[in-house]
Amino acid sequence: MQTHPKNNDLFPTILASTVHDIKNSLGTLLELVRQTAAKQDGPSAELNQLEFEAARINHSLMQLLVMYKVDSQKFSLHIEECPVIDILDEAIHQQARLAGLHNIDLQVDCGDDEMCYCDNAIISNALAAVLNNALRYTHKTVLIAVAEEDGYLTIAIEDDGAGYPPHFLTADLNDTAELDWVSGNTGLGLYFVSVMAGLHKNAGKNGFVRIDNESRLGGARFKLFLP
Amino acid sequence: MSFSLAGKSILIVEDNPVFRKAMRDMLYSLQAVTVVEADNGIAAINVMSKSSFDIVLCDYNLGVGKNGQQVLEEARHRNLIDYRCVFVLISAEQTTSAVLGVMDSKPDEYLTKPFNAQQLMSRLTRNFARKEFMASVDKALAGGDLSKAIQLCDALLLSGDKKMHLHLLKMRAELAISAGDFEKARQIYHEVLEHRELPWARLGLGVIDFQNNNIEQAIAGFQSLVADNPMLMECYDWLGKAYEALDQYSDVESVLQQALQLSPQSILRQKKLAEAADKNGNLETAEKAYKSVVKLGKHSVHRSCSDFSGLAKLYAKTNAADEALKTLEEMRKEYANHPEAELRASTVEADVYKTLGNAELSQKALLKAVDICSRLGNKAPRDLQLEVVKTCFLSDEHDKAEEILYDLIHAHIDDEQFLNDLRRMQSGIGMDNHSEILIQKTKQALIATNNKGVALYKQGKFKEALDLFEQAIQTMPDNKTIIVNMLKIMIHDLKVNEFCEEKNQRIKALINKAKQIGVDPHKLGILQMEYVKLRQSQAVKA
Repeated sequence: MQTHPKNNDLFPTILASTVHDIKNSLGTLLELVRQTAAKQDGPSAELNQLEFEAARINHSLMQLLVMYKVDSQKFSLHIEECPVIDILDEAIHQQARLAGLHNIDLQVDCGDDEMCYCDNAIISNALAAVLNNALRYTHKTVLIAVAEEDGYLTIAIEDDGAGYPPHFLTADLNDTAELDWVSGNTGLGLYFVSVMAGLHKNAGKNGFVRIDNESRLGGARFKLFLP
Repeated sequence: MSFSLAGKSILIVEDNPVFRKAMRDMLYSLQAVTVVEADNGIAAINVMSKSSFDIVLCDYNLGVGKNGQQVLEEARHRNLIDYRCVFVLISAEQTTSAVLGVMDSKPDEYLTKPFNAQQLMSRLTRNFARKEFMASVDKALAGGDLSKAIQLCDALLLSGDKKMHLHLLKMRAELAISAGDFEKARQIYHEVLEHRELPWARLGLGVIDFQNNNIEQAIAGFQSLVADNPMLMECYDWLGKAYEALDQYSDVESVLQQALQLSPQSILRQKKLAEAADKNGNLETAEKAYKSVVKLGKHSVHRSCSDFSGLAKLYAKTNAADEALKTLEEMRKEYANHPEAELRASTVEADVYKTLGNAELSQKALLKAVDICSRLGNKAPRDLQLEVVKTCFLSDEHDKAEEILYDLIHAHIDDEQFLNDLRRMQSGIGMDNHSEILIQKTKQALIATNNKGVALYKQGKFKEALDLFEQAIQTMPDNKTIIVNMLKIMIHDLKVNEFCEEKNQRIKALINKAKQIGVDPHKLGILQMEYVKLRQSQAVKA
């Protein structure tokens, strides 16, 4: 006899309502930051930090929700052909204030009519989270570069910071069964983007992610491979 | 950037005052001048019916009342926004688009909260650029000119815009399907799939199979597509349609159940589930679905009085007479002075009172139903007319039943599916083959008229042939065979005789009529293709 009736039907609704509620709070918070900044003639370091944290919460929440849907098989990618620059623009715009505030030189190397097949909303959000990290750990410059490599479209995000710590570099990001490295914001962001990359399939090839400290700028280098 | 918000009129629909202010400030910072606000769905619909907007920024969750999707559906349904308007649906979570899995109305853009001015601006810029690029085709489509839309779409494809290429191909294939040119559509989908496995192209191939009556093949295609793309809601709907075409209602039911588990907000899907479960005798499922339909219908443009009568009929079947009568009462409140609603209510009442043993009230309700039915004539839905007929037979009102039947059979004589529904109804009340003689006689009369008309046409007497069919259509309105024959003659007339705008308009009207009454899309497609090609060659000559 079942003592605890399983009410799985309700959980998605409650989760969605909770996310909606947190998002509303975040939106209000961001709006208040903006209004306060306007009142005091520009943002202070504390307000910048507030905005940065809000963006982080937002990313984590979005990733959590998508991972939940993947897990409960309520998720499929929406693949479309899309200009790569539009995907990058979306990610950059999400982080625009952060880059501006920290006086970081954000360089983009991508042709105007470079096209790719992917779920552009998912990819731009995943890249935004990686970019958020790069902007946080870099000294002066962040470079986003698009290229083609072995039949994959690659999007690299490089910085001139101290580079990834060793435990990330030794981890196999594409083995999602071995998750020792998944902790903290950087780890979660990388986990998310590598799962999303893996869902992208074409002609027997899957997408994947590679990280190293071989950036031409001297710091960390993240590279997404889309089939 | 050449794009500016300065000349655009913008509507914000958002219930939260803090966000409204945030959005307003954001828009002003982007040089917007005309910004109107609404804090709920009904207010939004009201403003849209008074003035037109270039941009609508609408939150999905608007608290009580209509949600953003329902605002969009009503705005499109009532033509409150046209093809130039960019409608942005704003939501808290990214997967909303998939969860909504709308059946017919998609916004131009989904935007996830929170967003900043740069994000908003780049999305709007992109959408306006796309709309500007597609404007000529969209305009032709909005005007119902399919052949012109196809011509313009082909011209845009030749322009070689890399970014728009795939979008144009998708559009071109859909236009080909609307025009019945399935070969062209199939060729486009195959071409696309050669480069990349894209679900919409795969779905398109299934749709073509379905339209070509290769139902089994269509089902196989749809099934493997949902297996790989569980959130492709459109595919569930097509799968349901395909099972329905094979009369496999238990499969229809299970597919819709599956879809609704993923996307429970779709009223049209709930309606289909209710009907399928009802047909299968799964009254519990049907009741639950009808209740959802009534509830979802509260704020939806897709609501209908049949939602209530469907629920009431179900209660009548489960001997819950009180519930049935209560539902009908509610329906009368929602649909005051609505003849079809009253007809539905009276028909169910006649049945309910009869089972309650109240002959007097039952008789009264039935007479009322018959009266409204004869006043509405062909405007009353035919399944509803069949129900009235059935109730009449059951209440020994045979004359009244025959009267309605006579018109029904004449109007739908070449619709085997309807005739089968009719036969099934009669068998169900122990009147097997009751109308068979009438059906056969009417069929023969139709054949005679057709033969005569075709003979006239072959002698080149177009006008006489058309007159004959015009006459026949008086007694057999909505007759598909006659409409198709008329179309054939008129297109041929346009081909061999001089072009005449009046005839051209009549052809367009007939094509629309044919679509409305559900002429076989393949048959109609061939005629439409012929017409499109004819118009194209005439355009070249001119």
